[in-house]
This record gives sequence, structure tokens and C-alpha cells, in this order.
Amino acid sequence: MALYLSIFTQILITIVAVSGVYVLTGLTGMFSLGQAAFMAVGSYASGILVVKLGVPFPLACVLAVIIAVAIGYVVGFPTVRLRRDYISLVTLGFGEAITALLNRATKLTGGASGFIGIPKKTTFLMALLSAIAAIALVSWFKTSKYGRQCIAVRSDELAAKAMGINVPKVKMTAFLFSVAVTAFSGCLYAFYITYVDPTIFGWKKSADWVIMVFFGGVNSLTGSVAGAFILSGLPELLRSLDQYRSIIYAILVLLIINFKPSGIFGEWELTFGNLKKLGSRRSRKALKEGKN
Amino acid sequence: MKGGHTVSLQIVVNGLATGSVYALIATGFSLIFNVLKFSNFSHGALMTLSAFAGYFIAAQRGLGLIPTVLVAMVTGALVALAGEFIAFRRITLHNTSPVYFFVSSITLGTMFEGIVTVKVGANFYNYPQFFQNATIKLGNVVISTSDLLMFCCSAVALLVLAYIIQKTRVGRGLRSVSFDRDTASLMGIDVTRTIQFTFLVSGALAGLAGVFLGINYTLYPTLGSLVVKGFIASVIGGLGSLSGAIIGAVLLGLIETLSISMVGSGYTPVITFLLMLVFLLVRPSGIAGSNIQEKA
Amino acid sequence: MKKALALLVAAALGLSMTACGGAASSSGAASSSGAASSAGGASSAASSQAAGEGGEILIGCLQDVTGATSSLGQMVQAGAQWAVDEINANGGIGGKTIKMNTYDTKGDVTEAVNAFTKAVTVDKVSIIVGPPVANIALAIKETSEQYDVPVMGLALDSNAQLKTDGTPYKNMFSFQPNADQQGAIMAKYAIKNNFKTFGAIYNESNAYSTSLLTPFVETVEGAGGTLPKELQVAYNANDTDFKTLLAPIVNAKVDAIFVPNYTKDLVNITTAARAIGYEGALVCGLDACPPFNTMLGGSCDGVYYINNIDDTQTVLQEMIKAVKDKTGIDATNKFFLGYDIVQVAAQVLNETGTEDPEAIRTAIENVTDFEGFTGNITIDPKTHMTTGMEMVMFTYEGTTPKLLEKFAA
Repeated sequence: MALYLSIFTQILITIVAVSGVYVLTGLTGMFSLGQAAFMAVGSYASGILVVKLGVPFPLACVLAVIIAVAIGYVVGFPTVRLRRDYISLVTLGFGEAITALLNRATKLTGGASGFIGIPKKTTFLMALLSAIAAIALVSWFKTSKYGRQCIAVRSDELAAKAMGINVPKVKMTAFLFSVAVTAFSGCLYAFYITYVDPTIFGWKKSADWVIMVFFGGVNSLTGSVAGAFILSGLPELLRSLDQYRSIIYAILVLLIINFKPSGIFGEWELTFGNLKKLGSRRSRKALKEGKN
Repeated sequence: MKGGHTVSLQIVVNGLATGSVYALIATGFSLIFNVLKFSNFSHGALMTLSAFAGYFIAAQRGLGLIPTVLVAMVTGALVALAGEFIAFRRITLHNTSPVYFFVSSITLGTMFEGIVTVKVGANFYNYPQFFQNATIKLGNVVISTSDLLMFCCSAVALLVLAYIIQKTRVGRGLRSVSFDRDTASLMGIDVTRTIQFTFLVSGALAGLAGVFLGINYTLYPTLGSLVVKGFIASVIGGLGSLSGAIIGAVLLGLIETLSISMVGSGYTPVITFLLMLVFLLVRPSGIAGSNIQEKA
Repeated sequence: MKKALALLVAAALGLSMTACGGAASSSGAASSSGAASSAGGASSAASSQAAGEGGEILIGCLQDVTGATSSLGQMVQAGAQWAVDEINANGGIGGKTIKMNTYDTKGDVTEAVNAFTKAVTVDKVSIIVGPPVANIALAIKETSEQYDVPVMGLALDSNAQLKTDGTPYKNMFSFQPNADQQGAIMAKYAIKNNFKTFGAIYNESNAYSTSLLTPFVETVEGAGGTLPKELQVAYNANDTDFKTLLAPIVNAKVDAIFVPNYTKDLVNITTAARAIGYEGALVCGLDACPPFNTMLGGSCDGVYYINNIDDTQTVLQEMIKAVKDKTGIDATNKFFLGYDIVQVAAQVLNETGTEDPEAIRTAIENVTDFEGFTGNITIDPKTHMTTGMEMVMFTYEGTTPKLLEKFAA
């Protein structure tokens, strides 16, 4: 039970982060390999505020998200104006820089030995509520004016520009929104594990999140969330494989990406309408089979 | 800075040496970008895999440098080919968006790294000493034999590559596929073959780079993480441009070395990041300014 | 059809790659672990029952079997497994055999918490052989408070064992001298050797490296030596240009350079230092022990290092040879640290049985004068770390290790 609770809490925290990545990658078509660095900013900022300055936890979360968004603005301003394939590599450089700074600022962050002494505040319920809130917020964003503009930019930037969409502004909005969500997941993470070190926020982590989005379905929030759920749970299921684990994991992901490139869910979203449709299709099918 | 003239010359030499390692990494990476328009994140793990193959098949048995390099290059080429078939073929055929390459390549890299970790286990490995004299002295400047040899090897490999791309039939095919895959296919170019060829060459370059990385920095399962430097170099140089990648790599090597000797190593990643941003803002298509149009 | 074919080929290729990796390692690197893990996988569910039936005692091995520090983790695992096999061959503990499950942390703190929770709540292991990497121990220490399973680890960082109020985490133990002690031992030795001026080069992104620096600097300066701030050169994980990094230290003409890093960095740094003409001493950490000498591929004169074991003893040499013959592993100090932990655990479980976790913990707290390969182990119940444990200073003559002196902090 404790194990499931622990695993599920971590999965929920990952889902918060991945719903941020969905806004960036799924909706807007930008790749960030520095997304985990924003999680680091969230983790360290909230941790330092609470442990060193005695700020209450909820306020620390808010401040940490604001700090992350501010940094995101500085990084995003030049980045969103770049060609898309550059974004992933520039954000990768940003991630490396953040890691280096965290290692440098030993007095504040504990350096490579990590930041210790964070109190345990995140509970399963809090993670669950946060995940629901994040998903609700993102799905609102998706259907809002901004979300539709994002999709337009993703599909054809030139056409979007011609339609009068301010492309850098839309990209920036999506970028900052995703930074905020990811930074918040960092707060949850730090106050769940109670310890953070700079190594866990490398570009591989950001890449893992992008993979989760694609695995579930890059065009579907439901899919992205499901992808996060499955892929962060999978390593636990495969634990008995020991050192072969990462190999088998990679093979499974490769199979899905190659044979179902639209991801498990494709464009399908979990809504009441779609559920009804699914239900009626099923009953129609059953009816047909009944007739035959 | 302290010793004046000779020390700074030494720093330039060190920077060039570092730069030529990065150049070797960046070219293999850039080649794939040139043709398929995606960042091949499995390149690093492929370097590690072939470096270890070179060790286990050749170096461990007492064979010299040349057999080791050949084994690593052949392994790299074959594994890259297999990787293309497993991870990228279907994506190319279905004309799915290039972003899938990105995801596939990261996963493929994870798989390669996993295989290496299993094989390597708890032991440490290093190539045997291939050179009688580890360093050469020119006046006050010290140059490692391996650096010098690597510089020559990469120069030769890159010249051969340039010749193939510019002058041969395959090379023309490669360029046309790079420019527009569909049209090339209509003009009777076998796109799949061309892509396979690209992976073959890129894999061989990964093997070459892997062996030299191994000679310089010993063999370990995460050796390939140095590929990040190759990424940054190719961004500075202009993604997809081979000459740009080389210039970017040498520049990055020099800048890193200079920043180490002036402000210390701790801030080097920050400096490279800022530099990358400045470069992209001033010259968004990189130094070489390649002809890739964005089409999502 | 084509789809199915491609799928088949992909699967076959993947499997054959893993299979040949496995085949290779069963004759080579990780035979004991491979066997243990496949058995562990199959019976991890059944094992908790088995333990209850009285036939088996289950212990856990929480290690970085994959990831950046996999070679360290696999080495500890191999040593622990060797001890388990030896104990079982001698009749086990009170008629029961020991079974060891390995839990991979990937070197990732999140994974580590899950792996730990699985070991203690699902598999219900009696004791955990902990990791040599302090970050992992730091990550699980809070979680471990909720349970009653001792983690017999190797963390150098005393924060992994001690709370901020100075009392120990009840389950966290370390079985080698901590960073303060090891740093001090190296510094004392260097000062005694008449080295006065020092430089240091350390990996800023590595906890082992950074945690040794401060105690070394403090001890050196306390004893009248100098190690000024500007000669403490930091570098990052992907830095490779050690010639430029070392230049200011070498130009300052120091007596010795302190190099508390992992093996591959030590090789690179030593090579670079010699290449730019540095002829002074290099005072290294644990990882300059063999196979450093064979990896460097040249004379290791002037390299001093600290070790947990005295591998010039014939007993150890015979054992190293036996390990090499059977598993292909070149056993280093991490192997013997893992080995000793399991031996201590066996002694403790022999005294107390597996029923009463409180008794097991108290017994570990009171381990006194256990003669292991890594020295005389006495645990201080107040800190859960070793006290007065000796370490051995070595140097090389050519490529042969030469014992200098045994030292306690």
C-alpha cells in the first residue's frame, strides 16, 4: 500500500509537469529540453524560501512559480523567436547552465550534495488535487482563444501570421504557461521527496516528458496524461528485470512510436460527448452483431 | 594570462584540441540533421557503443589503433543502419512529422546505453597506450599525440566526406534528398537507400569519434554524454551545415578553454548558453546559414 | 505483413542484443548479479512467504545498477553477493539460507525512494545493503524513518546518517569512515610527508568530490599548509580540458595537488598534469586504487591514494583472484565494502534472528571490533557511523601499489 501510494503520488506529480509540456509541445509544437530545469527552479526556490527564510509553504509555491516565470520570460524572449529546431537545443543549453549554477551556489543550494532538510508537505491528496487542477487548467487553455491560436501556430506558422496572429506572443504565452505548471510540479516534488540534487533535472528528464506526451498522443491531453501515467509507472512494473529494465522500456516505447505514431489516444479526448459517442458506437456495434 | 605569450599559445592549442573532438561529434550529428531535419539524440550512445565494440573486439586482443578504429567504425555504421531500420524507417515512409524522429532517437539512445551498461558491468576500461610518446613538445607548447592524431584523422575523414557529398553520385543524391525528399524521389532517387547511406556514414563517424573520446577520456558507459557539446557546436555553426558544424565546434572549444582560463570552469556552461543565444539572435541561421526552410 | 515483419525484427534485435549482453556478462562482469536478479525477479513475490516459512532470509541490495554510477553500484552488489554465496555455502544463518534481491536506483533519487519502499513494504527484506553514493542515501533517509529496516550503507556524507539536531536517523548506517575523516586522513598524511603548498582540482557536480574538499582544506590549513581559494579549481561533469584547468595550479609550483575524484577523471587529470610537465605529487581519493594503475597506462609515481583495504595482503590477493576467475570482475574496495556489510549483517542476524527489527537495529548499533577486510568496524551508536576505523595510504612504484601507512582520523 505504501508503495502504491508513493508511486501514485510521484506519477501525479509527473502528470502535473507533463500537462505543462503538453501545452508547449502538444499544442504549440515547441520542444524544450530545459523544461526540467524549470522544475529545478521551482523545487529549489520553494525549498530555499521555506527552509532558509521561513516562508509558509503555499506562499513559497506561489513565489517559486513567479520566480520561474520571470526566468522563463528572460529565456523565452529570444528563444521563441528562433526556428523551432533550435528551441530544443537552446533550452538544453539553458538546462546545463542551471545545473552548473545550482552546483556553484553551494551555500544556498548545497551544491552537488543536494539540498537537504525540506519538510514533507506534499500528500497524495494534494498531488491528486494539483493534477486535477493542472489538467482542468490546461484543457481550459486548449479550448480558449489562446489554445486555438497555439494550434494554428503549430499547424502552419506562416498561415497563422497571415491570419493576424502575433506568433511570438502566442508562443511566449504557451511557454510561460508551461513553465508555471512545471515549476509548480517542482514545488510538489521537492516537498514530497524532501531532498533535491541537481542531477535529476538534466535534459534526459525533459526528454522523458516529451516522450510521454508522444507516447500517449501528442494531439490529445487525455493521451498525454495517460502517457505520463503509463510511462512513469512502467519502470516500477519492470523492476524485476534489473539492469535490462531500461532496454525493455526503450523497446516498448519504440514500438508505440513507430507503429502508432499518433500515440495511444490519437486525437481522442476524454469528454462527456466523446464518451457518449463511444458508448453509442459500442451499443450500435452490439446491435449489429445481435442482428447478425 | 600569467605566463604571457607562451601560455596563451598553449591555451589556443588546448582549445583547438578540444574543438577537434567536438568537431568529430558534431559532424556525424549534423549529417543526419542535414538529410532528415532532426536532431539525432542517439548519436552519443552510438559513440559509446562503438567505442566499446572497438575495445572488446580489437584493443583487448592486443590489436593496434588502426584495427580498433576500423572495428569501431564498422560497428558504428552497422548499428546506425540497424537503428535506422528499427527506429526511423517507418517514420520516413509514412512522412510523419520530423518530431517523431526526435522522440525515437532519444529512446534508441536509451536502449544503446542500456546495452552498454549491461555489458560493461562493474569494471573500468581504458584503451591500451597506443602511442610511444604521449606528448610532443614544440618549443614551450605541449601537444598530446592523440590530439594531434585526432586532428589529422578528423580532417581526413571530413575531407573524404566533403568529397563524397560534393563530387559523387551518392553525394548528389544525398544533397537532393536533403533539399526536398519528395522531389528527389520523383526524380528517380532511391530515398531509402540515400537515407541508409547517410546513417552508415554518420555511424562510422560516431565510431571514429567514440574511439578518440575513449583514448582521451577513458571508456565508461556515459561517455556519449559529451554529445551535448556537439549539439551546441552545431547550433552555433548552423544546424545541418557540415562546414558550420566544424567551425562551430572549433569556436566552442576555443571559447570554453578561454573561459576556463579566465573565469574558471564553474561558469562555462552559463557562458556557452549566453553565447549560443547571442549567436542565434545576431545570426539566426548560424554561422554557415544553411538552406533549410522551416516547414512544420 | 510488412508491419508484422518489422515488428518481429525489432523485437528480435532488441532481445538478441540484450541476450548477448547477458550471455557475455554471465561469463564476465556480473554473473552473480545476473543469476541473482533473474531468480530475484521470479521469486520476489514468493520470497516474502519463503522467508516466513523459515527456509530463507531475504536481504535487499539498493544500488545504482544502471545510470552514471553503475560501476560503483555493481561492484558493491557483486561483493555483497559474493558474501551471500559464501555464507550459504557454509550452511547459512542458523540453517536458513540468505537470498539477496537487488533494487536498481538508476542513480535517481525518485527511483531510489520507490525501490526502497518496494524492498521494505512488499518484499519485506530484513536488512538493506545501502549505496556508496551519498545522494541516494540522502533521498531515502526521511522515508526510512517510517519503517524498521536498517540500511547498512556507505554514505560519506554524515548528513545521510544524522538529523539536523545531531541525533541519528534510526535506520541509516554507514560502514566506512565519513568524508570528514577521509579528507582529514589524506591531509594529515600529506602534511606528514612534508608537503606544504597545495592545489586542488575537484568535480563540482559530484557529491563525493565536493564533500572531501572542505575537510581536506581545513586540516591542511590547521596544520600550517596552504591551499588558497584560487588554487581550488572546480570543473563540471562534461569538462574535458584538464590541461587548461590545471595550468594555474601547476604554474603556482605546488608540492601536491589534491584530486578527490572518480577513476576516469583521475586518469584524465593525471595524464594531463604529467603532459604539461607537473612533477609533484597527486593526492587522490579512493578511486586511484587499482585498476587505476593499469588504466593510466604508464608510471603512476607520485600518485598517493587512500584505500579501505590493504590489497597487498595475500588473503585479499587470493580472494581478488578467485573473484576474477569466477566472475571476471576486478574486485576493488567497493567490492570488499559490500562484502563486509553482508558479513556484519550475517553476524547480527545470527545473534538476533529476523523476527525483531528493534533487536537487529540495536545489534547493528553495537557492532564492535568486527574484523573485516576493510578494517576494524566499530559503530558509534550516537552517529551510526564507524569510529576509529583505519584507512590505508598507498602510493605507486611504477604501477605497483606500495603500502605506506595505516591511519585513523
